[in-house]
Amino acid sequence: MSAYIIRRVWQMIPTMLGVVLLVFILFNTVGGDPAYVLAGKISSQEQIDNIRRQIGVDQPYYVQLGIFVKQIVTADFGASWSTNERVSNILATRLGPSLTVLVPLLVISTLIAIALALAVAYVRGSLTDRMVMIVCTVGLSISILVYIIVFQYFFAYKLGWFPVQGWGDSVSENLFHYALLPILIALVVSIAPNLRLYRTFVLDEINQDYVRTARAKGVSENRIMWIHVLRNASIPIITHLMSELPGLLLGAFLIERFFSIPGIGREVILAVERSDFPVIKAITVYVAFATIVSNLLADLTYKAVDPRVQLK
Amino acid sequence: MEPLVSVRNLHVSFRLDKHTTFEAVKGISFDIPKDSTMALVGESGSGKSVTSLAILGLLPVENSIVDPKSEIIYGGRNLLKLPMRQLRDLRGADISMIFQEPMTSLNPVFTVGYQLEEVLKLHMGMSGRRARERAIALLTEVGIPDPTRRIDAYPSQLSGGQQQRVMIAMAIACEPKLLIADEPTTALDVTIQKQILDLIAELQKKHQMSVLFITHDLAVVGEIADHVVVMRNGEIREQGPAKRVFEAPQDAYTKALLKCRPQLERRPVRLPVIDDFMSGNPRADKDAPERKRGIRPTDPIILEVNQLGKSFYSREGLFGKREFKAVKDVSFRLAKGKTLGLVGESGSGKTTIGLTLMRLHEATTGEALFEGRDLLSMSPKEFMTYKRRIQIIFQNPYASLNPRFTIGQILTEPMEIHGIGANAQERTDLAFELLNKVGLAEVSFYKYPHEFSGGQRQRIAVARCLTMKPDILICDESVSALDVSVQAQVLNLLQDLQDEFGLSYIFISHDLAVVKYISDQVMVMNEGEIIEIANSDEIYKHPKMPYTQRLLAAIPKGWHGEHAARAND
Amino acid sequence: MPHDIPLKSATLTPREVPHTVSPGLWTLAWRRLKTDYVGTVSLAIVAIFVALMILSGFGLIASDWSKETGVNYAPPSFLGADYEGGTPAAPAEPAAAPPTASEYKSQIVDPIGDVIAQLKAGKAPSEVPAAPAEEEKSVDPLADIMAEIRGGKGAKKEATAPIEERKATLPLGGDKWGRDVLKKTIKGSETSIFVGIASAIVATFLGTAFGALAGYYGRWVDDVFNWFYSVFSSIPYLLLVLAVAAVLQQKGILTIILILGLTGWTGTFRLLRAEYLKHKAREYVQAADALGASNVRRMFMHIFPNVSHVVLVQMSILVVAFIKSEVILSFLGFGVPVDVVSWGSMLNEAQNELILGKWWQLAAAGTAMAILVTAFALFTDALRDALDPKLKGRLGS
Repeated sequence: MSAYIIRRVWQMIPTMLGVVLLVFILFNTVGGDPAYVLAGKISSQEQIDNIRRQIGVDQPYYVQLGIFVKQIVTADFGASWSTNERVSNILATRLGPSLTVLVPLLVISTLIAIALALAVAYVRGSLTDRMVMIVCTVGLSISILVYIIVFQYFFAYKLGWFPVQGWGDSVSENLFHYALLPILIALVVSIAPNLRLYRTFVLDEINQDYVRTARAKGVSENRIMWIHVLRNASIPIITHLMSELPGLLLGAFLIERFFSIPGIGREVILAVERSDFPVIKAITVYVAFATIVSNLLADLTYKAVDPRVQLK
Repeated sequence: MEPLVSVRNLHVSFRLDKHTTFEAVKGISFDIPKDSTMALVGESGSGKSVTSLAILGLLPVENSIVDPKSEIIYGGRNLLKLPMRQLRDLRGADISMIFQEPMTSLNPVFTVGYQLEEVLKLHMGMSGRRARERAIALLTEVGIPDPTRRIDAYPSQLSGGQQQRVMIAMAIACEPKLLIADEPTTALDVTIQKQILDLIAELQKKHQMSVLFITHDLAVVGEIADHVVVMRNGEIREQGPAKRVFEAPQDAYTKALLKCRPQLERRPVRLPVIDDFMSGNPRADKDAPERKRGIRPTDPIILEVNQLGKSFYSREGLFGKREFKAVKDVSFRLAKGKTLGLVGESGSGKTTIGLTLMRLHEATTGEALFEGRDLLSMSPKEFMTYKRRIQIIFQNPYASLNPRFTIGQILTEPMEIHGIGANAQERTDLAFELLNKVGLAEVSFYKYPHEFSGGQRQRIAVARCLTMKPDILICDESVSALDVSVQAQVLNLLQDLQDEFGLSYIFISHDLAVVKYISDQVMVMNEGEIIEIANSDEIYKHPKMPYTQRLLAAIPKGWHGEHAARAND
Repeated sequence: MPHDIPLKSATLTPREVPHTVSPGLWTLAWRRLKTDYVGTVSLAIVAIFVALMILSGFGLIASDWSKETGVNYAPPSFLGADYEGGTPAAPAEPAAAPPTASEYKSQIVDPIGDVIAQLKAGKAPSEVPAAPAEEEKSVDPLADIMAEIRGGKGAKKEATAPIEERKATLPLGGDKWGRDVLKKTIKGSETSIFVGIASAIVATFLGTAFGALAGYYGRWVDDVFNWFYSVFSSIPYLLLVLAVAAVLQQKGILTIILILGLTGWTGTFRLLRAEYLKHKAREYVQAADALGASNVRRMFMHIFPNVSHVVLVQMSILVVAFIKSEVILSFLGFGVPVDVVSWGSMLNEAQNELILGKWWQLAAAGTAMAILVTAFALFTDALRDALDPKLKGRLGS
């Protein structure tokens, strides 16, 4: 077991280096000279040279790469180009609001999707199953933008059931006041794809031989679904959830933007709009690292919950 | 005596799509007597498995239709009309079932104990503690070693034979009146098959239950059954006590089944095929003359293999590599125009030898001398010229032909690659000729593989090899996936080709009877090593090594009359 | 029986065997697809959209989308000119100068907040820029080619034409400047579908090529591509897209196609690699190896036709995904340039109009996209079923 973990951790390193390299190439070579971006449109050559020296792009590439790696390791990306706030401070303060929306969303959406998936898989092929699947397909094909615009307009602006936007200081106020509509919208949007996916996981299991054995033993259909099938289907579901986690952090960026929730996703959009490279670089690299670690955890969980897999 | 279960006029159809249904079982009737073993025999598509699933109501609800006039009577009740609740109470308690694939039939994420206790709690109302004790007792009864420890094992931690024992323990847990065994030994090695068959027979006697044994293998039936029902294409061809069916079969199809399969005692020049019987060909019933087999030391050698070894590596620990020796220092010689049979159980390395000789696997050690040249060490470019002279036919006729190619493309491709035939027309003509040779219509040239049956596809695979006029043909379990009647046809074809072209065969199979029939010389393998190599008659009559003796003893011998007394009372 | 059949002597005269050509697997799949009612209808809808895209791309329809033919916020014809929000809310002044960059940005940050603030202050909301007069500089995908064909006449002429009498209603209403929403929707479909299809082709090609090489050759080739894959897939897709968008300062159709295509290949890679790995071990490929077929021949002649249905299905999944991504990118202002209309830029305008009760542009763009994407998704399902019938009707025994 420990040998396996050590080996997997060891294998993470090239991937992390690859991410660093990719981000570096993207921001330092593909995009042209960042000094021009930072200096803005009207600036003299002297100003640009000054900036180049400041941010170190006059140095050879390997030195710049060294600086970048050092920034990552020390978590010190300097200050934002547009607000002068410390990047580390931006990251630290934006995480909380994102999680306030994401954690309840994740829990509720997963539970609902699993329950619905079992239910429609149980009546597979029936009219209900097909109707649910068609509703999912249609629901999925409406742009998330339309959901947000319409829901915000209707429930918040027109009916006044929820605040149109905003964010407070206390967690409970945020959670039970400001985050409600965003979570509701995200639920509507996220259940359909999850339901479709989980349904295929459940269907894969329903056709297995052990289900026939359970029937031959006289086990009731309910017990077959909730004990035998769910326990097996939970393996791909857990793995899927684990590997999706860091991506979710950004998945809600449109919602954060519309509802002015000061989270990571909104920060990314702001940074892209302002060409605020240090912030984008920091978020990209750290979210990628989080994904890599999360994939490792997903792998380990998978091996822990599936007795068929032997650790070597 | 009143039967335990009466099947009356059973019709089962499957809905294939909106407009077409396929009738799998066409109105069959039979009785399962109390306290006896009844075998349901048939080839694929005979409807035997469908029948067994119908008894427990396990047919897939989405697309199966059971005719409303059909009846399956058990204890005065029609199981087909029983409310779901009552049927569930019978399942696992009065009637239980085991399946072909023990590995997938057990739930992989629950321990063996959990699954055993589940059935005890469900039907016997046992508490956790008592259920566990009973589960351990059951595991002991079916011969699982160290049951107090194994009860907490997951199915994947047990061998295939042990998994099937656990399935049996689960099935007999509630002392059922009827045990349905659907091909329970087909996926197992012959020695394990023997053990499982013995166990089922022993439990049947001990618990005085009835067993409905579904199989395609008449030899197994002869070992175990008191009564036999022979099915074909959804109909019953013949039924009766085992003694009568084996000793005086009435139906042509039953006769054919009994004769088509190679037997250890006889080796006719040609195997009779099913059409001989069904068309009432008079020569079918007569025993064909025997064929002499074996090699003499003076026979010329075409391939000499020395110290062949093949290792696979898997990762272990932090930096470690674990070596798995699939083939260890194997040396043998193949005589020209003769057949070398390679037998062994799964994991014996027999298939690896075939693939390594073809250079589909890279050999770890050793050499294979063909016309004095080592095939294994020459450069890939050099090997190209030898490639066409040594060819292989795989096990699965459904997987070995490219589904996107027409038969014409399949046959002409190797000729194009090796520059056989001057132009496209010559190649096409040769392809037609070979289709004739393997007994297929010339129209086949324009068809796709999915339009052919398993036996026909295997003929196409043979024809594809023949396009290159090889000297050596490796048959890797080439007839193992085929039904008995089709198997005989393909074996005859291989024999005809050897007689006509003097091909040398390496015939790899787990089926000892088939290997005995087709081989001049037999090589027995176990765990990557050669156990024994000798002329085939010699090895079957006088096996020298204990492993060979065990292997031969495990072969189902078919009907020998020992059940006669029981079946008649 | 084989040995009873006499060996025919090889003849050199061409032999003709009467035969009907058997249907191949593609033909069979097409037949199955035709019997699938949902699949056929979906395919028809997709075909209509693609036809619209082509017609619009060649300037045959909706080429004058930027012409202000109706009054500002003209309501849809079926509602009549007297619809409550229908009377011009703002003076019938053609759009003011494009907002400055700072205005534009602040709006992006707080879309509705700004509008509300402006409403409170009694001002009409400023709009996202779409200066019609600059139309001729279009970066419209096919328009550049078309410009030569049309030989100078076209967008410019229309845009600068004197303002004719404006209609009180338009078929699907008008936008702030009184442009026809129906025409905008058609033009927007052209952009969005073109971007979706083109970037799906790029991504599928990359994913297939990489997957085939990695899965087939294994060993170090596989290691390299896997490393490449894990690097790309460890950055969440949209973050990667946004990062690339941030770096590439110039906007344009080609840029979005490249961004989406170069970042979206990972899913296809994973699937195709697995398929090649699986098929490489199949007996028909081993048989091809045994009979001397080269690596290239095995990869492309033998395996590829057997996995091409996966590629096809994957591509149609990607088209849908990329259309959605394009809409979001353009909505945020990182996608198409301001002078090109796409569903995303329409939705961007529409969110402000909704506050004023002018819902038709939102409805038009949203519905057009929903219909196409639904049809495409259902068609993809039908395609998958038709190409791989095993998945659907599994026999129980």
